[in-house]
Amino acid sequence: MDITSLFTQFLSGLTYGTILFLVAAGLSLIFGVMNILNFAHAALWLMGAYFSYTFWSWMQGYSFAFWLSIPLAGLAAAVVGWVMEVVLIKRIYKRELYEQLLITYCIALIISDTIKLTWGVTNKLIVRPEMIRKPVFIFGAPLDSYFIFVILAGAAVAIGLWWFLKYTRYGHIVKAAVYSREMVAALGIPIPRIDTWVFTLGIFLAGFAGGIQAPIGSITLGMDTAIIIQAFCVVVIGGFGSLLGTLVGSLIVGEVMSFTILFWPEGAMVLIFVITAAILIVRPWGLFGTPMRT
Amino acid sequence: MNDTNATILEITGLSKSFGKYAVLTDVNYNLRKGEIAAIIGPNGAGKTTFFNLITGYHKVDSGTVRFQGRKITNWPRHRIARAGISRAFQVSNIYPRLTTYENVRQAILAQEKRTLDIFTPANGLARESTLELLELTGLLTNRDTVAGILSQGDKKKLELALALAGKPEMLLLDEPTAGMSSEETHETMELVKRLNAQIGLTILFTEHDISVIFGYARKLSVLYQGLLIAEGTPEEVRKNEEAQKCYLGEEV
Amino acid sequence: MKNKIIFSVILFLFAVVLPYIVPVFWVHVLTEILIMGLFAASFNMIFGYMGQLTFGHAAYYGVGAYTTGLLMVKANVPLLVCLPLSMLSAGLCAALLGYFCVKLRGIYFAILTMAFGQLVYYIIFQWYSFTGGDNGLQGIVPPEFLGKTANPYYFFTLIVVTIGMIALWIISESPFGYTMRAIRDNAERTEFIGINVQRYMLLNFIIAAMFAGLAGALWGPFNRSVAPDLTNWQHSGMPVFMTVMGGPFNFLGPLVGSAIYTFLMAMVTSFTEYWPLVSGVIIIFVVLLMPGGFLGLLEDKFPFLLRKGNGAGKTDGQGRQER
Repeated sequence: MDITSLFTQFLSGLTYGTILFLVAAGLSLIFGVMNILNFAHAALWLMGAYFSYTFWSWMQGYSFAFWLSIPLAGLAAAVVGWVMEVVLIKRIYKRELYEQLLITYCIALIISDTIKLTWGVTNKLIVRPEMIRKPVFIFGAPLDSYFIFVILAGAAVAIGLWWFLKYTRYGHIVKAAVYSREMVAALGIPIPRIDTWVFTLGIFLAGFAGGIQAPIGSITLGMDTAIIIQAFCVVVIGGFGSLLGTLVGSLIVGEVMSFTILFWPEGAMVLIFVITAAILIVRPWGLFGTPMRT
Repeated sequence: MNDTNATILEITGLSKSFGKYAVLTDVNYNLRKGEIAAIIGPNGAGKTTFFNLITGYHKVDSGTVRFQGRKITNWPRHRIARAGISRAFQVSNIYPRLTTYENVRQAILAQEKRTLDIFTPANGLARESTLELLELTGLLTNRDTVAGILSQGDKKKLELALALAGKPEMLLLDEPTAGMSSEETHETMELVKRLNAQIGLTILFTEHDISVIFGYARKLSVLYQGLLIAEGTPEEVRKNEEAQKCYLGEEV
Repeated sequence: MKNKIIFSVILFLFAVVLPYIVPVFWVHVLTEILIMGLFAASFNMIFGYMGQLTFGHAAYYGVGAYTTGLLMVKANVPLLVCLPLSMLSAGLCAALLGYFCVKLRGIYFAILTMAFGQLVYYIIFQWYSFTGGDNGLQGIVPPEFLGKTANPYYFFTLIVVTIGMIALWIISESPFGYTMRAIRDNAERTEFIGINVQRYMLLNFIIAAMFAGLAGALWGPFNRSVAPDLTNWQHSGMPVFMTVMGGPFNFLGPLVGSAIYTFLMAMVTSFTEYWPLVSGVIIIFVVLLMPGGFLGLLEDKFPFLLRKGNGAGKTDGQGRQER
């Protein structure tokens, strides 16, 4: 196993980790602020992928079609997310855990089938622009050139969210709400509105992540069922409601997957679950979460 | 074997902090078997924490708790309960969805070590002892009421019943008469006194009701900001200057 | 109490008579209802009675199914011997995994059970040489004495499930069962009356897993095959659906929910492939509008049917008495 191959694996793990980060960031944010585990998150991610395909095919012929379809996918998903929050999620804040999980799980089912209804069962393929069809070589290791964009996009989102949380007023409110919803409400800030915006933002991120995913391979039904569990693992490992935690968690999962596949392909997912279980047992609030969240 | 003057509870150097806030500092406390003792102090003095440490609700930072000669510091809660210490909570800690009868029966079945039984219908079990305890604590008429909707006073009675079901050697009562009418207060404290006289049950309680303290406690200790500042009979404590200083503005 | 027994007996007689009046297809559906009903009832031991949401119960169902499948296919072990062995293997699995799960509560408990469920799924999925991987195990046939038609296996299942349900009922009405309710309502208090809550939770977890394993064991010969999917998180969601539909705070709730869910699924899938969509909408309605499930609804309209507060459930939002 030489340096170049190891580096290739590292890059591929980094890319996968970035996608996981984009999916899990919204999930972690939503759980941190609203205490709701959004089972439908991956379904919305997949919907984002399909949206980006649709936008791309509508705008074919224009050079920017490929790139523009990605944020548009995020926006489209955000609209769906906004409707979802206002119509359903609002009703379940005060409900029991099982009711919340069931409702988001059912929404996932509904969205999965809606995807099937709308886009059918055939795989969708987005054709990439010329410039990203060939691999680039980093230290001799080949990397799909699109992956560079993915990693950059992930970094941009991470930085953007960090900046938002640290330097904007809304970001401060969000951080405070992760710490204590009651305090924020007691300070006269309308929690319901915060919830709607946070949820919508989280779903925007999911849709955006779907848009990013779309040109990688093809878009198929059922991709969401594998990702949702991995996203949960990321959030558990990193810690609910922590941006840094989500970043670290997704990189850990991405790299563990990537390297384990080398010498024990069957064991990759098994190892991920063992790690997740271990974190839950030893430190349930994750590497960077706050203990009082119990 | 304990004789009536033996020490049943021996606490040395007990300290507990939550974060930077020191709730109890180096508390020493002894209790003789068969004693009826009370601890008073303003809210936040550390009374409930004191109980919490003895019963295993929290872990101690330092110090030891000895019960009947055995070191029980930091034992798991259920083990302390089985060792013979029962507790009635300040805020009623009952089973809100079970009936009063089922509440008491549950505690009795636990004490009788019958809770691992998966074959016998529970409905027929422990009928006599449950009814007896219900009658003793004045809950017989309410026995089929869902405990969550009992009155405050009745909930406190249920608290006591649950604590007594454990057939304890020592009973810790955290404000046992809070929310009770004067009649209920009298009933409850007479019961406690009777149990103490008849079966030698050691009682340690906290109270804000001064008449209860002076009517029933034979030993009184004053806790103030985590320190034990006075101890003796209620009469002695009343005359104690330290205690008076701390209670300036409050009736002693 | 007496009303419940009468209700159950009527239900049983109904179940005995049905195969003779409905087409074969529905006999298969009924068998599935029974198996899933037992699975859901075992889930409810943890959920309704002990108050914790497990999202990985299908792991034990699947372990039971695979135990029977492997023993029958690879070692020709008779089904009647496989059943208790499946319970044992599911129980052992639960003892190992449950040991860790009971250290947590609430959402962490739910997520850990889900993670362990996925762990079991991936182990079965990847262990190609032993379990057949994603191909599953084929060729599991019901024993000779049950013949080849649908009815005999149905009656066999009915007997086993009835025995299982009676066993679960006895356990839920025993001191242990009431201790579960106590742990559900106030785990803290239960510690203070001298009960090692974690140990009791683990025991309950194991018992529930054993009956899930029993249900899984019945599934193999019914379906003629087993696949890793039996252990995935979607399958773990099934007993949750069914219990909520039927009524989480009622002993027969899971079984009734299984009947409603499986029946609806059979009907809906005959004219559309979008059962997930339909079921998702239905469950959302049930959760939002029928918090007590179907049996809860019945109780409201016909209170005499299932009355007698034995404290087996929660008060709903209006503070009504429960079971």
